[in-house]
Amino acid sequence: MELWHHSHILREKVDRNSLLVQGNRACALGALDAGVRFFAGYPITPSSEIMETMAHELPKIGGVFLQMEDEIASICACIGASLTGEMALTATSGPGFSLMQEALGYAIMVEAPLVVVDVMRAGPSTGRPTTPSQGDVLQARWGTHGDHPAIVLAASNVVDMYRLTMAAVHFAQRFRTPVTLLADEVVGHMRESFSPELVGRYRLTSGDFELDEGFLHPSMVREVHPPHTLGKGQDPHVTGLIHDSTGFPTNDPEESERFLRDLYDKVVNHRDELCLYDLVNEDKGRACVVAYGSCARSARAAASAAQEQGLQVEVLHLYTLFPLPVEIIQRVARRVEFMLIPELNLGQYAREVRKFAENWTTVISMGKIDGNLISPDEILERISQLLGKYESV
Amino acid sequence: MAGTLIPGETAPEVDRYLHTDRLPHIWCPGCGIGTVLGAFLRAALALDLQKDKTVVVTGIGCSSRAAGYLDFNTVHAIHGRALAFATGIKMAHPEFTVVVLTGDGDGAAIGGNHLIHACRRNIDLTCLLFNNSTYGMTGGQLSPMMDMGEHASTAPYGHTERSFDLCGLAQAAGATYVARATSHGVGRLERLIKDGISHRGFSFVEAVAQCPTEFGKRNRPRDPAAMLEDLRRKSVSVKQAEKMSAEDLEGKIVTGLFHRDTETAEFSSSYQSLLESVRDGQ
Repeated sequence: MELWHHSHILREKVDRNSLLVQGNRACALGALDAGVRFFAGYPITPSSEIMETMAHELPKIGGVFLQMEDEIASICACIGASLTGEMALTATSGPGFSLMQEALGYAIMVEAPLVVVDVMRAGPSTGRPTTPSQGDVLQARWGTHGDHPAIVLAASNVVDMYRLTMAAVHFAQRFRTPVTLLADEVVGHMRESFSPELVGRYRLTSGDFELDEGFLHPSMVREVHPPHTLGKGQDPHVTGLIHDSTGFPTNDPEESERFLRDLYDKVVNHRDELCLYDLVNEDKGRACVVAYGSCARSARAAASAAQEQGLQVEVLHLYTLFPLPVEIIQRVARRVEFMLIPELNLGQYAREVRKFAENWTTVISMGKIDGNLISPDEILERISQLLGKYESV
Repeated sequence: MAGTLIPGETAPEVDRYLHTDRLPHIWCPGCGIGTVLGAFLRAALALDLQKDKTVVVTGIGCSSRAAGYLDFNTVHAIHGRALAFATGIKMAHPEFTVVVLTGDGDGAAIGGNHLIHACRRNIDLTCLLFNNSTYGMTGGQLSPMMDMGEHASTAPYGHTERSFDLCGLAQAAGATYVARATSHGVGRLERLIKDGISHRGFSFVEAVAQCPTEFGKRNRPRDPAAMLEDLRRKSVSVKQAEKMSAEDLEGKIVTGLFHRDTETAEFSSSYQSLLESVRDGQ
C-alpha cells in the first residue's frame, strides 16, 4: 500500500527500532495516517497517551493540538474545526465521555465529521481508572438525548487501534457524523508487535477494508442537507435546532419528521458497509461466541482450544457494534443452539443481540465487572457446560 | 445613500449582513438586543467585514438567536459553549474573523469557564456579551448578572446573590481589550465593538441592555423607554469612575474602555510560531 510510504506507523518501527507499539499510540498514529490534523482534548486515564502522542506529532506536520480546559471545551473545539473542513479527533474515558454527550448530539444534528475515542475504564463515576471495562457500550449508542443513529466501533488489539481509527475517520467523513471508537483500557495500554503486513493481512468482511489514497475525500452518502463547510463561499447557517434543507430552523411537523428520519436512515441504511466483523469457524459450530474488544481475543483463543478438544465453536468477532449488525447476527442465530456473549459489563450488548436473535437461538450473557479480563479458559468452560447441557439430537 | 452613517441610525447598507428573508425577528418590542445588534452591524460595515471570512458563533438564548438573522458564516452552537466552538474554528483557520455573541447566562453562568480560558489564552476572538440580567428565552429565570433584591421567575421573593464585574473578570483572566457600553449609548457601543473586532487578541465587550418583558414584568422600571433612561442615568465613564468612591459607584454602570494591551502575545499567532520552530528544528 502506497499509504505506508509516509506512514507514521512505519516511521515508528524504523526510527525506534522497536517492534512493540502501545495501543493508544497506535490509535494516534492511525489518526495521523488517516489525515486527522486537529486534536483538542483533556487528560484522563487511560486515554492520555493518545493526547500526548498528538501533542508531539501534530505540530511536526502543521496540525493543531490543543489541551482545552475540560472535555466539553475539547469536543466543542473539535466540532468547530470540523465545520471548517479539518478532520478532528478527541480521546477520553468514561467520565469525559459523559461530559461530551450533549455536544455529540450537536455533531450528529449538524452532520459534522468527527472521531471520539473512548478508552473504557471501570465505572460508573470515577470507578477504577486503571482497569478495563466495556461499560460504556450502550452509552455510546444512546448517551446523548433524542432519537439519533450512532456509529460505534470496538478495538480488540493494537492493530485494531490503528486500523479502526482509520476506519472511524473514513466513516465519519463518508457519513458526515461523529464515530465513536471504544477500546477497553487494556487494549489502550497493551504493547504488541505491529507491522504493515499485519494490517494488510487482517481481513474484514464486507469486502476487504481498503483505504485508498482518496479516503480523505471520500464520496459522501446522501445527506440530509447540503454540506456546509465554513469559509467556502456558502455562508452557511449551522444550528442544533431541527432544520430543513436550507439549514434554517423549522417547526413544520412534516419537515421535522423527515429530517430526523433521514438522519437515522443515513446510517442504518448502510449497515452492509458499516458493519465490520470476522466470523471464525463459519458454519461449523453448534454454538457461537459473539464478542468484541478484549473479550473477542479470549473468545478466539477459547475457540482454538475447543477445537483441540473436538468441539467446534464459531466466533462472531464484532468490530462494529452499532449500527447493530442485525443481518449477520440473525444469519448465525438461525443455525446455532446458543450464542454466548462475554462482556466486561452486566450484559449491555447481550440485551441488544437477544432482541434480534431470540426467535432462533438462546442468547446467554456472560458479564464480568470485577476489573479482571475474561480469560479464554472461562469462556471455554462456559461453552463446555452449555454444550453438555444442550445435547445434540 | 452615500455619506457618513450617523451613529444610532441603522442604514440600509447593513442589509447585506442580514438574512432579510428571515425577518421579522423574534425579539420583543422594546428589547435592547436589536439595538446592540444594530451597533454590531454598523461596526461590521465600517470595517467592511468580508462575509466569507467572518464567522459568527452564538450560544443559546435570546441574543444568540442573532445567528439566524446574520448573513455571515453562522454557527448557532450549544448553551454556554460558543467560545469553545470559536476556539476550534479560529485555530483551524486563523485568517477568519471570529465573533462570538453571547448572553449573560450563556456567557457568564454555564459558559463562565470557557470565558475565563479564552481570556487567558488571549485568542483573537471578539466576544460581545449581551447583558440583560435575565434568562429571557426560557421565561425570566434569574441570572448571575442580576442584583440583590431583584425579582425573577426563580427568585420570586427577591434575589439573594450578588452579580459580579464581568469586565473585571475578563481583564483579570487576561483579555487584552475590555470594554462596556449600554443599549442607550449606541454611539459608544458601536465604536467599542469596532475597535474590539480590529484588536488582535481577545476582545471582551459587555453590552448592557434592557429586557422589558421577562425582566421588566417583575422589576421596576418596566417600560422600555424608562429602562433606557435608567441605563443612561446609571452610566458613568471610566474616567468619572476613577474619581468616585466605592459607595458612590454602588448601582452605577461604568462604561468605556477599561483595558487595551497590544503587546501581549496572541494565541493563534503564538501557535503558528511554534509550528515554524518545530518545523525548523526537524
